[in-house]
Amino acid sequence: MRRRNHVDHAIRWALIVIALVWSAFPIVLVVLSSFKEAREIFAVPPTLLFTPTLENYQTLWQSRPEFFRALGNSVVVTIGTVLLTIVASTCAGYVYARYRNRLLGGTAFGLLAARMLPPIIITVPLFPILNALRMNDTHLLLILLYAAFYVSLGTWIMRAFVAQLPIELEEAAAVDGGGLFAILVRVVLPLVVPGIIAVAIFVVVFAWNEYVFAMIFTTRNAKTAPVVIGEMLGTVEGVQWGVIFAAATVQLVPVLGLVIALQRFLVAGLTAGAVKQ
Amino acid sequence: MAASLARLNGAAPVHHARRVGDRRTARAVHYAMLCPTLLLLLAFLVIPAIYVGWLSFNTSTYGQDVKFVGVANYAQLFADPIFWRAFCNTFFVVNGIVYAELLLGLGLALLLSGPLPGKALIIAVILAPYAITESSGIVMWRYMFEPDVGMVSQFLGRLGLAQLDWSTNPVQTLLLASTIAIWHHLPFTFLILYAALTTVPRDLLEAAEIDGATRWQQFRFITLRLIMPAILIAVLFRYIFAIRTFAEVWLLTEGGPARLSEVLAIYLYREMFKYHQFGMASATGLFMLVMSLVIALPYLRRMYREVMRGA
Repeated sequence: MRRRNHVDHAIRWALIVIALVWSAFPIVLVVLSSFKEAREIFAVPPTLLFTPTLENYQTLWQSRPEFFRALGNSVVVTIGTVLLTIVASTCAGYVYARYRNRLLGGTAFGLLAARMLPPIIITVPLFPILNALRMNDTHLLLILLYAAFYVSLGTWIMRAFVAQLPIELEEAAAVDGGGLFAILVRVVLPLVVPGIIAVAIFVVVFAWNEYVFAMIFTTRNAKTAPVVIGEMLGTVEGVQWGVIFAAATVQLVPVLGLVIALQRFLVAGLTAGAVKQ
Repeated sequence: MAASLARLNGAAPVHHARRVGDRRTARAVHYAMLCPTLLLLLAFLVIPAIYVGWLSFNTSTYGQDVKFVGVANYAQLFADPIFWRAFCNTFFVVNGIVYAELLLGLGLALLLSGPLPGKALIIAVILAPYAITESSGIVMWRYMFEPDVGMVSQFLGRLGLAQLDWSTNPVQTLLLASTIAIWHHLPFTFLILYAALTTVPRDLLEAAEIDGATRWQQFRFITLRLIMPAILIAVLFRYIFAIRTFAEVWLLTEGGPARLSEVLAIYLYREMFKYHQFGMASATGLFMLVMSLVIALPYLRRMYREVMRGA
């Protein structure tokens, strides 16, 4: 019996290690290789001990200034999308949690059904119209589009978090003479912060990493980092692997850090917004 | 409590509304708070989607008036072997992704359920691919699988095995694209199933063990039954999202060679942005939409009943 436990234990850990390698190996490989010299990148067997160099980062800085502009665009678009989505979702989530009637039920259902829609189909009518309106290639357009894709998940998550709050808190605040706005901001808002963080992580990861819509709707001014990385890969004749690795590393570090630091909110958000409902 | 419940059924939740006027104001303000969300949804999803439906019965391109053509777009679409190729590719890719992820995600969730030292760290590493952008994910996998020079290619070469050829062999393209997609989205499937597993009461399993149930029986008759709703949700959402697969294939081969590795989203993209056939692109889009809705129908029906309950 005891021996069997040992064997089980060993198998369990072996499988866990395989899962960890599967998840982390491609990322670690690219991050490490971004510090290698060009001739070492495809060396076989891969060099494990090497003198790290910042050569690739220097080349990236000198030959691809558009990457850093794109990174700036990504920051603007991500912050804008997060703010808009959180304000819109928190407001709507509150109303859906506190009122119930057929009209609200219908729109709440509409929000959910909208998530089934493959987003790429809306490019067909939107692209020509937005082009005519000169809204293509602007930060604002990406922010509005991304927010439109995520308000539905955000609203459902916030609805679940608000619904957990006892309504008596708001009633007590009202008896004490709090106005509508004061009750929302001072009583409700502080208590749904975990929900807001969960929505924020989903939106940050999405807006920071989104590729298809940024590729379609931006050409120069609002181009985001994932699009530039895709373009760097597209130059088939002589991909500069080291430089792409440097770009990928710069792009992934902030959001990867965020996801790892705030993972418990992700679980809470998924359970609130997707599973239980 | 009864008062709060009554209030849930339509009255304003604000107690200080001593006068009816105040309550009406609260209600109006609260309803106005729905506007940003609903306007975004209407402007960017609902109205464009309806327009796509209408456009699919017309021909339209830049600098040309929209002309009604009935079902001609659909006739042309369904007569196009490249469309059917894209449909079959999508079919195999989607099913492969969904069920591989389900098996791997479930296995991983079971592996990590129960006490384990360093669990938070392990889960953090497993979630990592979720934080990576699609284009960087493809950079990573292409680096390993690059024909001739990538480490997997070199490894296969040394074993004397056949060379990787994903840039010209559509089956290999789609296999690699599916692998990358699974790598990217496994964290999502895993998280949903893992969250569900944590809700399975331990004493139920222990009671079954005392009654002589084997571990397989415990899993089959207790765990699996209890987490089935979560499994269905995970599968459904992965179906809906996998139908949209675009970047993985696009950044590997752009659907080539000779459009053999195209998926539906790439077919739509080409009709729209290369050939500027808005009607054909719309017909493809509507086809994708209907496919998604058919798959989502059982879920949507259940949710409809749920949101309308007590309304």
